[in-house]
Amino acid sequence: MRSELHYDAVVIGAGTAGLTAGARLAEGGARVCVLAKGVGSTHLAPGTIDVLGYAPDRVSEPGTALREFAAAHPDHPYALAGLDAVTEAATWLKSAVEAGPLPGYRYVGDLERNVLLPSAIGALRPSALVPETMAGGNAVASERVCVVGPRALRDFHPSLCAANLSRAGIEARAVEVEIEVDRADENALGLARRFDDPAWRAGFAARLSIMLQSDERVGLPALLGVRDPHGAWSDLEHRLGRRVFEIPTLPPSVPGMRLFEILRSALRRGGGRLVMGAEVVSVERTSQRLTAVSTHAGGRDVRYAAPWFVLAAGGFSSGAIELDSHWATHDRVLGLPLRGVPAPGQPRFVADYQAEQPMARVGVAVDGELRAEGAENVLVVGAGLPGAMPWREASGEGIALATASRAAELVLARAGGAPAGAAA
Amino acid sequence: MTVIDDLLRGSLDHCVKCTICETQCPVSNVTPLFPGPKYAGPQAERYRVGDEPSVEWSVDYCSGCGICSQSCPQGVKIAEINAQARNKIKRQKGVPLRDRIITRPTWLGRAGGGPVAPLANLTIDLKPLRIIGEKLLKVHRNAPAPEFARQRFSRWFKGHRSPPTGRKIIYFHGCGTEYYEPWEGQKVVQILEHNGFEVVVPKQDCCGLPLQSSGLFDDARKVVLRLARNLAPYVRDDPDTIIVGNATSCTLMLKREAREILALEDDPDLKLVSERTYDICELLLELHDRGELKTDFKPVNERIAYHAPCQQQGHYIGKPALELFALIPGLDVVEMNARCCGIAGTYGLKAEKYDIAMAVGADLFAQVRDSGADTVACDSETCRWQITHGTGRTSAHPIDFLHRSYGL
Amino acid sequence: MATLSTDVLVIGGGATGAGVAWDAALRGFDVVLADRADLAEGTSGRFHGLVHSGGRYAVKDPKAAEECVGENRVLRRIAADCIEDTGGFFVTTPWDDPAYADKFAQGCAATGVDCEEIDPASALREEPRLNPEVSRVFRVPDASIDVWKAVWAMARGAQERGARVLPYHTAVAIHRDGDRVTGARLRAARNGEEVDVEARVTVNAAGAWAGGVADLAGIEGVRILPGRGIMIAMNHRLVNTCVNRCQMPTDGDIIVPIRTVCVIGTTDEHTDDPDDHTVFESEVNAMLDDGEKLVPGFRQARALRVWTGVRPLFEDAKASDTETRDVTRAHALLDHAERDGVQGFVTITGGKLTTFRLMAEDTVDAVGRHLGEQRPCTTRTEPLPGSEQQETYRLGERLERKEQHLTDAQLICECEMVTRGKLEDAIRRRATTNLDDIRRLLRLGMGPCQGGFCIYRATGILHGLDGLTAEQANGSLNHFLHERWKGMWPILYGDQLRQVRLDEWIFQGVLGVEHLPS
Repeated sequence: MRSELHYDAVVIGAGTAGLTAGARLAEGGARVCVLAKGVGSTHLAPGTIDVLGYAPDRVSEPGTALREFAAAHPDHPYALAGLDAVTEAATWLKSAVEAGPLPGYRYVGDLERNVLLPSAIGALRPSALVPETMAGGNAVASERVCVVGPRALRDFHPSLCAANLSRAGIEARAVEVEIEVDRADENALGLARRFDDPAWRAGFAARLSIMLQSDERVGLPALLGVRDPHGAWSDLEHRLGRRVFEIPTLPPSVPGMRLFEILRSALRRGGGRLVMGAEVVSVERTSQRLTAVSTHAGGRDVRYAAPWFVLAAGGFSSGAIELDSHWATHDRVLGLPLRGVPAPGQPRFVADYQAEQPMARVGVAVDGELRAEGAENVLVVGAGLPGAMPWREASGEGIALATASRAAELVLARAGGAPAGAAA
Repeated sequence: MTVIDDLLRGSLDHCVKCTICETQCPVSNVTPLFPGPKYAGPQAERYRVGDEPSVEWSVDYCSGCGICSQSCPQGVKIAEINAQARNKIKRQKGVPLRDRIITRPTWLGRAGGGPVAPLANLTIDLKPLRIIGEKLLKVHRNAPAPEFARQRFSRWFKGHRSPPTGRKIIYFHGCGTEYYEPWEGQKVVQILEHNGFEVVVPKQDCCGLPLQSSGLFDDARKVVLRLARNLAPYVRDDPDTIIVGNATSCTLMLKREAREILALEDDPDLKLVSERTYDICELLLELHDRGELKTDFKPVNERIAYHAPCQQQGHYIGKPALELFALIPGLDVVEMNARCCGIAGTYGLKAEKYDIAMAVGADLFAQVRDSGADTVACDSETCRWQITHGTGRTSAHPIDFLHRSYGL
Repeated sequence: MATLSTDVLVIGGGATGAGVAWDAALRGFDVVLADRADLAEGTSGRFHGLVHSGGRYAVKDPKAAEECVGENRVLRRIAADCIEDTGGFFVTTPWDDPAYADKFAQGCAATGVDCEEIDPASALREEPRLNPEVSRVFRVPDASIDVWKAVWAMARGAQERGARVLPYHTAVAIHRDGDRVTGARLRAARNGEEVDVEARVTVNAAGAWAGGVADLAGIEGVRILPGRGIMIAMNHRLVNTCVNRCQMPTDGDIIVPIRTVCVIGTTDEHTDDPDDHTVFESEVNAMLDDGEKLVPGFRQARALRVWTGVRPLFEDAKASDTETRDVTRAHALLDHAERDGVQGFVTITGGKLTTFRLMAEDTVDAVGRHLGEQRPCTTRTEPLPGSEQQETYRLGERLERKEQHLTDAQLICECEMVTRGKLEDAIRRRATTNLDDIRRLLRLGMGPCQGGFCIYRATGILHGLDGLTAEQANGSLNHFLHERWKGMWPILYGDQLRQVRLDEWIFQGVLGVEHLPS
């Protein structure tokens, strides 16, 4: 007996792109299964939705800048997804957050204008949509900033953050607060759990308030609660009588984990399945189509067949795309052709750390509708797409959301005639 | 060292220190005594030299739930590396008597089950005896302890005649069903028969999981191989005959953990058994996908909470129970979003780990209480006992609800 | 301008120079030790870490083999804390001339290398990743050494006896008074300040750069033939024993387990510029293929970084310009009084890490002749600071220490288990803002993530401790990132590429370091 299951669409990857694609397909009525080797990029990312931050100069109006940017970069994922998809995806995300499992938590901002938020080292990062818990850090606000760091947290250094903010023209100082911890290696998640507890929060606020000066807003590392961040944040603002904002820092990212829960719950609400630990280990296909993928499940493989596949497994960082020790580049998930790989004999990387690296734009080759070259029923979304440099552009989440939404739209528009498993 | 050890250790090369496993680990998130999977696994492994004495203790606080390996996006076999390190500590520092006893459900079951059950159960219920047990054996006085059943499952099955449909299926009931919850096995048999299977129950013992998770690898190998020798002949000759079990931890042991953690990759009997073993909900979902599952489900108008235990998640098949519940009219299922109940097989029984296990379970217990459900569905018996212990709510295997809905 | 006065000025702070400073200080001389960069940043810090048993030279260079036999025993005694008793194997792989094994055994017997032939099956039990095709295996007492630890231990020991240690001080002039060298002018790399050192004897221990230092002294013809080799560090120890190919020494024939990693080395190419660290893809490919021969699957394992080192081979009549391996590995001590009629100046070069102590002893003997004071050498028996217990280093030490302080010792560099206490202590002790200096002391940022997680932490701590400005702190961080990148980009594939992408994500995506206000 062969283990197999049939779906309308199988999504591979559970980062922002995969969960969004899965949720949107499920909402559209498709029977969808998301296969994930492990937890994805959300837990490492700041939790902001960066749409376009640099092109290459800093962008202040991403919506406007995108038009020019997409025109100038016709192979860029934004050009493929289309600008409507970006706008629509941003709107969808906001509503998904509000319908999500975190009461009161929401994202603010839009494509009209980027918000400039301090990073943990005190640089300013441009984002389009940000959790309400971070919005108070906007560099355009005039209040002075007091960067507050729990001394126990090795992953946040308030004095360095404040010193760099001051150099950027934002009047800032730093204070350290003692927090009782039971271990020296506590991370942001461990501290964030404490902020879910109102009594603990009250004690923290009392200790902090005496250290603050008037007309200062308070920047804390991003650890204001896991289960109830809205409650934690608004309570702290209330108790301190001033604006409080979170500053994203080293992984693990608490706001990223919140985003994961929001997207996961959107997928589940729509009836979509999520299978963790499910690495795709083999692929079945005809000359033009993918018919099934298999994952290891104990002693045997489970075969997942579908008329549509969405590849959201990421790029080099997740290992979905690999450069091997013989300098050959592969799509390790589906074995699809890549684009953007430097020709043999050409440099793959260059000695200057800050220069653009020739390998940076590698991705799975697609056509104008995100369809993988050589597999017409595979749509590629997110970091596995070629042509972008998400970190340099500050565009990662925007690309993930927009391409995932577009892919879901394309599948739903065409799926009418193809019943589940027909291609198998 | 064998090749498989090398594969486990070699997987540490995939670690990019990303911290995702730390966010998922139920144990390190509640106690500083376990510094977390990244530290104990790929990080500490670089400092371990095969035959040099172990210099650690903290990895013994890993409960072996396996969530880290499951959530690692880079494919590091974290839990498996930890299991090896734990085994090394046990080899060098010795195994407490307690671990030798509680890891032997077959001995316990034979001693306390069947006709002597009422007497044995009395000792379980008597607080003074539990306190003595804690002092002597370091088994926590409050740890959840199931009651022995008066009649073992296998005795019941002897008096049962499965209709000879010719479509044979091998039922692996495990120790929990055999000694404590024979009714679960009866329901499994009835559901399988309802769907046209002829159920065969071979002679069987423990799968060795409790021994393995306590780091007693040599004993665990003997036990699981004996089981594999018993089961393999039943499936060897017919590629369509499969083994199904309702004890999700034990089926996982047969499917994957014995081969990977105990380095038994090359044993042909175990390999065959591993390829043919199904978790009951996994099987039913696949039958449904093929249109072969009877769907004469009658309404069950009830709200239940569902917790997918770690070991069930370790099958890497998602949560098939949820898909099956969706077939039952009227059943209102609240999916728990907590990682672990804390018990992790025998971990939560141990006196020094009981409090940690209860702290691990606290999140789940709170979600259960908030769910408004009176009953919790969960695929693993030890987890059910822990959930009931932590919440006072009754708990049942997912097949209970299918059984009811079929009206069997 | 500041001036210093001393008995002995040592130019070059590698193992040899630090050894000279330690030896001279033990003999009661006043010492100044200077290096253009950090101590052991040149050749000494850029090798694989092998303490030779002598086996490698047993056939080809019996004199070198005998020196290694003696010094190996001495180092285990005096530098125990820096040395791991890994043991070594010489293995005959299918690619090696089977006739060499017998010659090897004979050579070892003749030179006193403690060598025992063992059954390949038992070698495989000890080292299961070893190529199962090996036909013969010899066990020898190879070991590995943490050179940075040893060099700093010697520098510290010398300091405790009054020596002054001046890293980042380049010799810009050598002072001469007629036919006598009287000292040197040093320029501090950090602030450009100069200092004149008056010395009764100046020792040129600049290794591959010794020709340039001799030129400054107006001495001609000190020609060093730099032999350049690449080494690759793998993410974890694929072997716990030093594994050598049993053949005439060639490229890529040793894997050395050193601290948490193992290093494969090396190549040998003539170079004109000892500061040229270019790594060629062809060299990397060849080295990975060589790794496969010793440890099948080597190419699937994770390579952390690659670097080059230059051997300071002193040219003699036998040398050709292209084949450096045939030049003698024995060291060259040039007493310029005898050679050039110049008093107060001695050059020590050539040699190998294993024999640095012997080189230092010979050198200080020569220094004594210049000073007219022959004092006995004690480095053969005097343990280096930190090695008094004569307990050799074990890999598990840092894990054991962390386990003992599980909840109260904060790990800053998790990969290499560097605690906050150790980091703060090192920053204070070195009074440096250069995190690369700290790296060499503590192995900060040398593990799998190559600083991805610890360098922001370390920069924050540095900024908080030293009252540094934000510009300086940012500069420290950027400098470290650039230094790490140098060793990674030529060998970026597989798992390390994933790591680099995550690190980029942290520095660019999360922290935005490239957008820090300038």
